[in-house]
Amino acid sequence: MNDFATLQVLAREFIDPAALVAVLPLVPLLPLLAAAILALRLAAGTEHGDAQEPLTARIALLAAIGALALLMLLDLAALFGTLPTSVVVGEWLSIGAVPIRISFIIDAYSLSSATLIALIGGLALRFSATYLHRERGFQRFFLGMSLFLAGMLLIVLAGNAVLTFVGWELAGISSWLLIAYAWERPVAVGNAQLVFLTNRVGDAGFLLGIGLAAWSLRTVDWLAMPGDGSAATVTLRLLLIGFVAAALVKSAQLPFTPWIARALEGPTPSSAVFYGSLMVHAGVYLLCRMQGLLLQVPDMMALLVLVGAATALYGGLCALVQSDVKSALVFSTVGQVGMMVAFCGSGLFWLAAVHSGVHAAWRAYQFLLAPDYMQLVGRPARPVPAWLAKNIWWYTAALQRFWLESLAHALITRPTLALGRDMRTLDAHLIDPLVGAPRNDESPLGQLAADELIRGHGLAGRLLFAFSDQVRRLEDHLLLSGDGTLMKRLQRLVDYADAVESLLEQPRYLLLMVMATFAVIL
Amino acid sequence: MAELTAYPLLTVLLAWPLGGALLTAIVRQRPWAGRIALSSALATLGWSLLIVVAFDPASGEFQLLDAAPWIAGLGIEYLVGVDGLSLFFLPATALIFCAAIVASWRVTASSTMPLSPGLYFALLLSFETATLGIFCALDLIVFFCFWEASLIPLYFLVSLWGIGSGRQTAAVRYFLVMLAGGVPLLFGLLTLVFGQAKGGALVFALPTLLAGALPEGTQYAVFLLLLIGFGVKVPLVPLHTWLPAMAMGAPAAITAILVGLKLGAYGLIRFAIPLAPLAARDLQWLLAGLGTLAILYGGVAALVQSNLRGVLAYSSVAHVGLVILGLSTFSASGLQGALLLLLNFSLCSGSAFLALSFLHRRTGSTDIAQLGGMIRNLPLLSGFFLFFGLAGIGLPGTLSFPAELLIIVAALHSHTGAGLAALFGTLLAAAAVLAPFGQAFLGRPRLPEQAEVDDLLPRERAVLLLPALLTVLLGVYPKPLLDWLRPAAEAWVAGLAGLL
Repeated sequence: MNDFATLQVLAREFIDPAALVAVLPLVPLLPLLAAAILALRLAAGTEHGDAQEPLTARIALLAAIGALALLMLLDLAALFGTLPTSVVVGEWLSIGAVPIRISFIIDAYSLSSATLIALIGGLALRFSATYLHRERGFQRFFLGMSLFLAGMLLIVLAGNAVLTFVGWELAGISSWLLIAYAWERPVAVGNAQLVFLTNRVGDAGFLLGIGLAAWSLRTVDWLAMPGDGSAATVTLRLLLIGFVAAALVKSAQLPFTPWIARALEGPTPSSAVFYGSLMVHAGVYLLCRMQGLLLQVPDMMALLVLVGAATALYGGLCALVQSDVKSALVFSTVGQVGMMVAFCGSGLFWLAAVHSGVHAAWRAYQFLLAPDYMQLVGRPARPVPAWLAKNIWWYTAALQRFWLESLAHALITRPTLALGRDMRTLDAHLIDPLVGAPRNDESPLGQLAADELIRGHGLAGRLLFAFSDQVRRLEDHLLLSGDGTLMKRLQRLVDYADAVESLLEQPRYLLLMVMATFAVIL
Repeated sequence: MAELTAYPLLTVLLAWPLGGALLTAIVRQRPWAGRIALSSALATLGWSLLIVVAFDPASGEFQLLDAAPWIAGLGIEYLVGVDGLSLFFLPATALIFCAAIVASWRVTASSTMPLSPGLYFALLLSFETATLGIFCALDLIVFFCFWEASLIPLYFLVSLWGIGSGRQTAAVRYFLVMLAGGVPLLFGLLTLVFGQAKGGALVFALPTLLAGALPEGTQYAVFLLLLIGFGVKVPLVPLHTWLPAMAMGAPAAITAILVGLKLGAYGLIRFAIPLAPLAARDLQWLLAGLGTLAILYGGVAALVQSNLRGVLAYSSVAHVGLVILGLSTFSASGLQGALLLLLNFSLCSGSAFLALSFLHRRTGSTDIAQLGGMIRNLPLLSGFFLFFGLAGIGLPGTLSFPAELLIIVAALHSHTGAGLAALFGTLLAAAAVLAPFGQAFLGRPRLPEQAEVDDLLPRERAVLLLPALLTVLLGVYPKPLLDWLRPAAEAWVAGLAGLL
């Protein structure tokens, strides 16, 4: 105890908490800066060739190491109890009366998660510098990874929901960048799209949560959100539906699980950190952050237990029948994360947090090692367990991943596209004719029949035509009943008008005329 | 800054592009026509920044007023001025016209007539004057003149310099639809003026009209007429079909301007809602519904387009739906979000169209079925196109993120159902960016002859890089911009609430 006290005194002497807190924003900012520099290098076109590889890797790695070093210092300071629980850097914007600050949360959970993220991210970056040597997308990969690292660090450190959401989106877009890494292959592109869109469902949920929090709880700060327990349960339930949906999507829980198997299309190091170890736990992190609110709505907790348990079973079953190591790993990851969600649902948030940390570290190691398993493991792959092999229904279902993807395709993708085609038809066959716009396939001036000067289009045009027909008939009737002198005078007038009109048809006179009109008006 | 405001800053602003137009019409030939056009557009941009400097951000009132009698007998005067709502449209307009001029540096007429590039630039610059005039006119008749005057250069630009055989159809359709929209607009404005002139002189000045009050029945008529008139230009959904046609037929620089500057939405903010507050308040559901309809309709229709320009056109219909939804909340944060989103369009949607025009120049097509794997030879162009696409769907770090956040949160508060639909719309918007990008820019090239093309030229790079940097800058730190908008936005909301 004495030693600890001495250490504390020493730490207070050497670590200035005010300065540390001031540099806290640098933690997510450093990888973000690295990403910006890499993007500018890409835009400037100076990234080509092997010679640039070390520099690229160094920029990304330095940022990660810098973030890690800062976090270690913060950890030390926090260990000796000299840090505040939250830091407000400034106001970013405000929604009505609800201010949205650039604020960070400093507690045991956020600091330990952030340290783990920086550590695993740095290791993966170092690993990739060798692994991706002489790959064409080397620079792009490091850009995506740095962006991802910034996003993840922001998710765990952010003091309010909006800032967490920024990280959430950054992680989503960087995962798109890395899954579509091999862009020549249509499968990779399609998978990247599917993953991003599924994640976007969660993002919509997140936005819903933010919106409801902003006007029912009057705050978006994580620490203030649980409130005093006076908020109406109905509002809380709605709000939680949003946040929980976001968490379930990011952590690939049922029914959103299929995206994670598709996401393995990217290079191994990125799969390792995204879907093996870090991003997949972001949902669990969010649930733990929400515990004050979750505890107020018991039925939401029950839902979490249900979904988590179902996903654990699903992941376990599917993992058993996979034939490649990455898929098997990712399904068992999903299973484990399902257990964490179930823990959250049972109120064991601390267990979920510990489990997610240990699991993240272990999976990162496993995934990075995955390409070497062929050499490392001497014996043949373990066959499907006998009880599953015998039960044909379960076996097929597991192989087909319980048809979740086909279901989503049939229920969501196809109807949406069909609706789109219907609207295209509606535009062309209903709205255009009603408005009376000429169709694209016919020129407005050419190809008219010999006896018509202009042609009416659509409902509006026809109506106008019918009207002018009536007027002409009336005129004919009036003129023909006269004795002809009127006709002659009119004829002369028409001749003049024709002459003027033929002049006006030339663009320069038309312009002149328009100008003259304006001159008169002015 | 007090001495600056003594000069007729806005009138001079309007004169810059007009002077350039006259000069280019005289010079006619390259290279001087282009140089003069660009320098007068740049001068306009510089001048608009000067106006931003001279503007007092703390006040929500109209500022920098220039007035001169025009038709005294009818009470019509030349009156221009800006407030926080319209101020930022001036530099945005100037910037987008600069970009359009640079992007059409090597423009050639697609019609068979021997037309000089000077004429093109002259028409473009006179269009700029009309557009700037729309943003600063405070007299209804002056506004209407600028509104209609913008059609004339557009008609010639599209029909003479457009793309493909559909250009004349597009030009005629645009002209007719806009004229048809102009009729209810004029009628609505006149109804308003006659409704307020109680046995006395007619007043056309907006500040005076805002202070007066109309009988509720008249307000309904005025609001609906203006809604139709501006709705055509926005475009709101049943009246939107001219936009895809223009996107297919008009020169890309023109489409960029039309998509980048949502004049219709500005008209709704400036005239339709504050001039008929009671009716607007009662018909709030209609505005929100129209916005939601546009979000969903545009979003879904964008998914099935076969041409990248069609995709962008329908996406733009969806985007502007979000703007309408934002202002239908009648809250300061919703309006701020809508204005930020409009500004973001000027920076990003316009630039996306310009990027497409660069692609069109290289490949001769923007048909998705004919493209594929464009990123191999055009990595920069593809990167910019992707960036602008993402910058339209709320990527954090771009201006659309705070904008969409403000709008959606405000909408969830005032029209929860519409807010939920807007959330679904964000999904559709993401799909409408990534799916066409994946098909046209990633994957394998479909036509081998497109393989050998060069990436962006320096001037094309500059045209795209500047808006990209601006949207990032404003998106990362939107607070100064929001603070500038706040007094005017709050005055706008207070004006709505005060008359209830």
